[in-house]
Amino acid sequence: MKRHAPLLLLLLAFGAGFYHAAQRPPAAAFRASPTPEANHQPPILRSRFASSRLHTQAHAASLVELQDGRIRAFWFSGSREGAPDVEIRSSVFDPAQGSWSAEQKVVNRERTQHALQRYVAKLGNPVAGRAADGSLWLYYVTVSLGGWAGSSITAMRSTDEGDTWSDPRRMITSPFLNLSTLVRNAPFQYADGTLGFPVYHEFISKFGELLRLDSGGAIVDKQRLTPGGRGALQPVLLVQGGNEARVLMRYSGTPPYRAVTITTEDAGRHWSAPAKSALPNPDSALSAIVLPDGRMLAALNDIEQGRDALSLMVSADGGRTWRKVYQLEDQRGQPRDEAGYVEHVAGLLAGPVEGAVPAAERQEYLDSVKSQACTPQGCRYEFSYPFLLQARSGDIHLVYTWNRAFIKHVQFTPEWLRRQTERAR
Amino acid sequence: MQFTDVTGLAGCAIAIVALAAKVPGVSRLSRTRRRGLLAAVFFAALLPVGALPLAGYVRGATGDLSIASLLLLGMGLLRALHGVPMPPDRNKLLSLIVLVAIAFYPWALGWSNFDPYRLGYGSYWLLAGLLGIALLSYWQELPTVALAIGLAVLAWSTGWYESANLWDYLLDPLVSIYAAMVLATQGIRRLRRG
Repeated sequence: MKRHAPLLLLLLAFGAGFYHAAQRPPAAAFRASPTPEANHQPPILRSRFASSRLHTQAHAASLVELQDGRIRAFWFSGSREGAPDVEIRSSVFDPAQGSWSAEQKVVNRERTQHALQRYVAKLGNPVAGRAADGSLWLYYVTVSLGGWAGSSITAMRSTDEGDTWSDPRRMITSPFLNLSTLVRNAPFQYADGTLGFPVYHEFISKFGELLRLDSGGAIVDKQRLTPGGRGALQPVLLVQGGNEARVLMRYSGTPPYRAVTITTEDAGRHWSAPAKSALPNPDSALSAIVLPDGRMLAALNDIEQGRDALSLMVSADGGRTWRKVYQLEDQRGQPRDEAGYVEHVAGLLAGPVEGAVPAAERQEYLDSVKSQACTPQGCRYEFSYPFLLQARSGDIHLVYTWNRAFIKHVQFTPEWLRRQTERAR
Repeated sequence: MQFTDVTGLAGCAIAIVALAAKVPGVSRLSRTRRRGLLAAVFFAALLPVGALPLAGYVRGATGDLSIASLLLLGMGLLRALHGVPMPPDRNKLLSLIVLVAIAFYPWALGWSNFDPYRLGYGSYWLLAGLLGIALLSYWQELPTVALAIGLAVLAWSTGWYESANLWDYLLDPLVSIYAAMVLATQGIRRLRRG
């Protein structure tokens, strides 16, 4: 008996291993987003700033709808991207009031480091998702060593709609020192209540991936969406049916600069080979949603260079062809020397951002933009990292980085979008 | 602090102790003093220095160490502290680690659309393959190889670390580099001897 003890221990270990493997949930169909209520609002588009902190950089905003219909935004903010003082911040939009709450700190580097019991150098992109049990999860990028290619994902859970959060926990998603998994776009639900989370990898080569998380937030599967070396990253997954979905991805490869796309017809068991879509992409993040009538709406820099123009585009054929329906921002050709830039941005702050910047505060806002967007070599216009969400009310919300200094919020009704689409024909 | 933080930090503290055992002069201490010193280093590595213990800073860079790493570190410490000789099949374990690492990491880091890391989330094929290798090792009298695989599977199935992926228990880049360096050094020595 003693002679066979090692063999028995080995069999015991593998018995436990096979039992553990058997607990993994089987493959499941996609769950379509709930259909919004009928929206009879007139054609309205409103815009305002969601962030309010001055003289800091604000970037990479995302949205999630709360149970009571309010919209919560998350973004990262600090003295500059990658600085140790960067925090994840949040604000809540009340559609009834038409205004954003004061922004609050959600988590910083020190709290993350203490909870993870490991060194953390900086924080990055935050994205929230709702689990099948109704709790909110906030996923954000953390880096211990090096640049963004050294990222890992950290997660926190909230059972009070984001007012308070659990301690951060590290997600282990990569075999190489857990390096290089980043988040940018929203998770979605499978029919069995597990969560699908499109993420991406940047170390050595860039590619899209899809995580599947159980109700406790544990990873039960990870799937590669595109092979490395194709420059495809930041996937956004558009559920078209129980088995059908299209993924759009930012493209960082060689010309022509087009967003990369893949599709599935069997709930992600197999994916088509990556192909360039009809959407221009200057190596910048894009966002898209599926509308209740099956059309797709995308927000993106629909140019091949720079991030100084941002548009809304619609596809009526499942993402094969796209039509621009509205130019949200376009500062191509505008002055980039400091004096000309300041004068031009002062005009922007006074104009289309309704009521968000009272005249008395406008100079402070302008100084904030200047501090983030201007260097001795000149100033830049940046309208980037859009994030779209359709609320249960039917209203569509978009947030994006506004010249690296603020997060801008654009809200519009389905009727406004319908009229813009008619006009664009 | 969660259970997986304790196991992760303890693993990194063991690595710090193993490095301390290699510091010139430590091996010249009496066995009792050496044991006392290394035990002190272990506990010191877990005491907060500023925001984190030293093991926490190491963990930030290395992540949690695989069971293969811990096993090899343990063998090194047993030799340093108790004079226990290295097991005769240690080189077989190192060779297996290098072979698997060469086959695994390029694909896991994006060589093609095939991702072997995915198999670590509970693939029966991976488990069956490992069971085959472990049984073969046992019958070939390579107990260290069988032990490394068996302990990794047991640790994974009981949630020893944060990772839900079996590969993170089987190997890590540091043990792969270490194994390759040891085997390369041995090979060069053999060549020099003619």
